[in-house]
Amino acid sequence: MDIQLKRGLLDVCVLAAIKNEDSYGYQIIKDLKPCIELSESTLYTILKRLEAANMLTVRTAEHGGRLRKYYHITPEGRKRIEDFKDEWKEIMSIYRFVTKEDEAYE
Amino acid sequence: MNKKEFLAQLRKGLSGLPREDIEDRLAFYSEMIEDRMEEGFSEKEAVSAIGSVDEIVSQIVADTSLVKIAKERIKPKRRLKAWEIVLLAVGSPIWLSLGIAAIAVVLALYIVLWAVMLSLWAVFGAVLACGLGGMAGGIVLICNAEVFTGIALVAAGILCVGLSIFLFFGCKAATKGIFLLTKKYAVWIKNRFRKKEEM
Repeated sequence: MDIQLKRGLLDVCVLAAIKNEDSYGYQIIKDLKPCIELSESTLYTILKRLEAANMLTVRTAEHGGRLRKYYHITPEGRKRIEDFKDEWKEIMSIYRFVTKEDEAYE
Repeated sequence: MNKKEFLAQLRKGLSGLPREDIEDRLAFYSEMIEDRMEEGFSEKEAVSAIGSVDEIVSQIVADTSLVKIAKERIKPKRRLKAWEIVLLAVGSPIWLSLGIAAIAVVLALYIVLWAVMLSLWAVFGAVLACGLGGMAGGIVLICNAEVFTGIALVAAGILCVGLSIFLFFGCKAATKGIFLLTKKYAVWIKNRFRKKEEM
């Protein structure tokens, strides 16, 4: 898959994983597993990128005697998800157009 | 490998990066290992699920900008004493020129690679232009009653255009190769910074 496209998709996947409630690294990886296999290093890069883009905030909370980082989606992050849905509608109509051409030639 | 060993190796591998970045990374991987252990994995399993230290380090180094790594390398570990600043200023004609020379060498390799590519494309352009020009010239000659010379010129033109098509694919492949090469070169330079730090 095109790297630029994949990067955008992964960003939205991670945002979707924290959309309903704050989540932490390992939970995000587990939640995304049915959809996409994400390595720890990749997730780290995505989380940093989203934080820099102000799409999520990080807070540290105690959990079982140690610290854990929780990620919280911002309004900008929610907007990114909505934008993604709109963009995807457009892409789907392009997809339908492209595959319709295929059928015509068969 | 247990968690402590894993984190120690990772710290060693990342030693060329800024301190805050290293701590942040280590905290992240440590949290991941602990969350897996909490879920019932053994320490060994939790560590091996993260992957090998070498792979992680090379991915991180590839993701980190060269500027950041170089800055960290240059940054002094403590505040400079007055006499050291004097020494630096006095020695600047030497280390400044050496530094510039080093950067120039690095840049030169890039320029050489790109020059090779540029010249390949120039050959392609020249052959294509020859072909098109030859064909056009040949047609003009045919119209001016120099039929045989004209036909020969058109034929030569077609030959050149055909050759240029082959050249196009060659140039394309070479461009791709050079792109990969420059990428590898960048990673290699980054690694040089890292290795020095470890010594």
